[in-house]
Amino acid sequence: RGGRSGTELRKALVSVWLQCPSITRIYTVGESFEGRELLVLEMSDNPGTHEAGEPEFKYIGNMHGNEAVGRELIVYLAQYLCNQYQQGNESIIDLIHTTRIHLMPSMNPDGFEKAASQSGELKDWFVGRSNAQGVDLNRNFPDLDRIVYGNEKEGGANNHLLNNMKKAVDENTKLAPETKAVIRWIMEIPFVLSANLHGGDVVANYPYDETRSGSTHEYSASPDDVIFKSLAKSYSQFNPVMSDPQRAPCRKNDDDTSFTDGITNGGAWYSVPGGMQDFNYLSSNCFEITLELSCDKFPAEDTLKTYWEENRNSLVNYIEQVHRGVKGFVRDLQGGAIFNASISVEGIDHDITTAKDGDYWRLLAAGNYKVSAYAPGYLTVIKKVAVPYSPAIRVDFELESLVERKEEEKEELMDWWKMMSETLNF
Amino acid sequence: MASKGMGVLLLLGIFAVTVSQISAFPTPAEDDKAVVYNRRLTEERPIQEQIAEADDVKAAVESADTKPAVEPKEVKEAEPEQENDDFTLLKSLAEGQRSKETNETPVRESLEKEPYFPDESDSTKNRRLVEDYDSTKMENDDPESFRQVDGTPLTAEDIVQKIATKIYEEDDRGVFDRIVSKLLRLGLITDSQADSLEYEVAEALQDLITKNAKNNEIEDLGEDYPVTRGDQDDQNPDASMDVTGSPNRRYDEEDDDEDQAAIDDDVDRGEGDDTVDNTWDRESEGEGEEEERSEGERDEGNELSPEDGLQDLQYFPNFYRLLKSLDSEQDAQERETLITIMKTLIDFVKMMVKYGTITPEEGVSYLENLDAMIALQTKNKLGKTLGIPGIIPPTGKTPEDDDNTKAEAAKMQKEYENLKDSTKEEAPSTETRDHPGKSEIYLEAIRKNIEWLKKHNKDEGKDDYDLSKLRDFMDQQVDSYIDKGIIEKGEGETIKRIYGSL
Repeated sequence: RGGRSGTELRKALVSVWLQCPSITRIYTVGESFEGRELLVLEMSDNPGTHEAGEPEFKYIGNMHGNEAVGRELIVYLAQYLCNQYQQGNESIIDLIHTTRIHLMPSMNPDGFEKAASQSGELKDWFVGRSNAQGVDLNRNFPDLDRIVYGNEKEGGANNHLLNNMKKAVDENTKLAPETKAVIRWIMEIPFVLSANLHGGDVVANYPYDETRSGSTHEYSASPDDVIFKSLAKSYSQFNPVMSDPQRAPCRKNDDDTSFTDGITNGGAWYSVPGGMQDFNYLSSNCFEITLELSCDKFPAEDTLKTYWEENRNSLVNYIEQVHRGVKGFVRDLQGGAIFNASISVEGIDHDITTAKDGDYWRLLAAGNYKVSAYAPGYLTVIKKVAVPYSPAIRVDFELESLVERKEEEKEELMDWWKMMSETLNF
Repeated sequence: MASKGMGVLLLLGIFAVTVSQISAFPTPAEDDKAVVYNRRLTEERPIQEQIAEADDVKAAVESADTKPAVEPKEVKEAEPEQENDDFTLLKSLAEGQRSKETNETPVRESLEKEPYFPDESDSTKNRRLVEDYDSTKMENDDPESFRQVDGTPLTAEDIVQKIATKIYEEDDRGVFDRIVSKLLRLGLITDSQADSLEYEVAEALQDLITKNAKNNEIEDLGEDYPVTRGDQDDQNPDASMDVTGSPNRRYDEEDDDEDQAAIDDDVDRGEGDDTVDNTWDRESEGEGEEEERSEGERDEGNELSPEDGLQDLQYFPNFYRLLKSLDSEQDAQERETLITIMKTLIDFVKMMVKYGTITPEEGVSYLENLDAMIALQTKNKLGKTLGIPGIIPPTGKTPEDDDNTKAEAAKMQKEYENLKDSTKEEAPSTETRDHPGKSEIYLEAIRKNIEWLKKHNKDEGKDDYDLSKLRDFMDQQVDSYIDKGIIEKGEGETIKRIYGSL
């Protein structure tokens, strides 16, 4: 039983649900420190279930409680999608039928309440940023960047780096309840693409956030630098403010030298350890970017309409990005799903894994790739694929298990012997 | 209170910043201090004995037997001329002593002004006049005991003690100033000796306060302090600064031996010092009072039991305030950290002064600034209290929805007004006020769904939707949502009611 959630927020989400109950569902991933429910509105043609082959997407807003624009925009988005769906907007209908969209307007409702309770002009750069324990949630995630950087040098896994994830989370006393809830959420749902919404600047930021050398500014490319840039641009290009090359920095002395076309590498901008964005990429299959949506962290409510106008197209278009690259199923020869099979792309040092139905989604920019599927006890299969910008290309794998292979070989051997013996008459 | 982590961070920040700009802080050498302390505590001599000595010395002086020992020449030469002045001084001191002796506890010996000869461990700085005088009266382990000009072998700490007591009682630093300026004028002490004297007296003063706090109940402290503060506090914070906020005081707290285990101290404080806490509560309630760094706050610091081990820190009222705000269990760690940081900082400053890196004056102002900065940062970073809720209402439809834009806007306005009026903690009245708004919005949403269903089914050639099935389904969902804390019971009822009425 939770404590109170933001009344207004809940009211808005409930309204969307009441209006579109066949395509929405409200659920909670846990409670904040002060007992507020971390609410999610999911939108899909079959809310509440993962449909095999259907990619999962999420938006998370307001993890810094005083960065309020994202929170409001996510609610507007929910209303928009519901309205457009009912009004027959084909692309929206298609999007909702082919994607499972999860919308969490506020990951830090405690911080938000604190920030919101300040009187008008004094909304502070910091008050309400952290959760109720004073924890900056975007520094609170396990730092997997350090591990992957080590693995880059010395060898080791390039994906799913949090070993014994469940145990690590349950027993880690440093994790805020909000952080824990989101980590469990990430473990449970096979998210493919995601964005977390912030304020205080205007740019689309992509991994890695933490610099390799530890310096404060350093371009820190992930193995998927190419697709990340493309994803970030897919957001910024529809936001006239974000993509405006003449845009002045939010504050006079801001260093936005790393911004181009409205996007920036995280480390090049400034190093952030323990952030949620990189955690997604390094602990799961989810590719996440960070969207900074407003110079003003907590602007007056009459500006929201403008922010919505600036971001609506970007927000919708970014969801559509989940349908890019390569996707399909990995099954065994009997057609059974192989869960946790690895999908490797030659030249990209980051593998993803199949979900419970054997389904996978590998985001890739346009180009030619060699994609291989591997699972322990199975023979690896490699396929060549030409990938367009979009939509995603369907590539399924049927993997022969090693046992089967042995059986086959034995049979072949027997056949040969039989033939020999017949020929030679013994 | 959020941002507690911030509190630690900010203090660390302050620590870093101020350390880089560190200025001198005065304190006598630790060792000396300890030695002096011990001596003072263990070798307090009864008044009568000292009066007797004074009389003896007087007699000796009158017999012109005065003989400066290792005193510098200038003092020797000055002495005969000043003898009379000193004698008068001594006499008045002695008389004052007598008059007060009936009221005094041994601890609180109070004498009128006496000449004070600072205790120096460095023998080259000795300026005692009559060191050789009466060796039997010297402290066993003290080669540096002083005697009055006329030969009375008062020990250094006796003199310090007396002056300190005087200051304590009169709550007037002027006592010290007067004595010292006189001594300086008379050439009996040098400037550096005067400085040392300050330290000594400051320590003694601190000690007195400690003892008195121990001896008296907290209520008594409240009585004592108003007496000592008197009108000075109300009318002229600066005047009270003389007593409580003087650099001497600063020295005191720096020089105090710190008790260990801040946590234990916290526990002690919690148990025994309710009235003290109340005092703090009263004070901290008024945000406006925080605005001024009035010296009165320092007095409040004194009201806190100094024996709680945070003696050094009690002269940082704003820091104390910060600590006090961290009084929950979860904050124990934080609190400990802050205390450790602060104590480390104070120790550091002491060391700086000890090694002469900074002057005493610099040290004082540095620490004064530190506390001021804590006040400022606490105010800024940990937020003000009681603002008007400026909640952004994400209610209603998006601007896209042409159908109900106006109505929704009006609704939103109303909702927002309602919210603005309510306090942060929503009162039940707010709930009921919201209910009409909520019902309307929910009704609208449900209606839209019904309309869509009708249209959708018609388009797809299906049979008309089944309202009762939908109602059952929604009822189920509502119950499930109530269970999970997603919607409140009241809201659920509203929704069910609406469906029931369709």
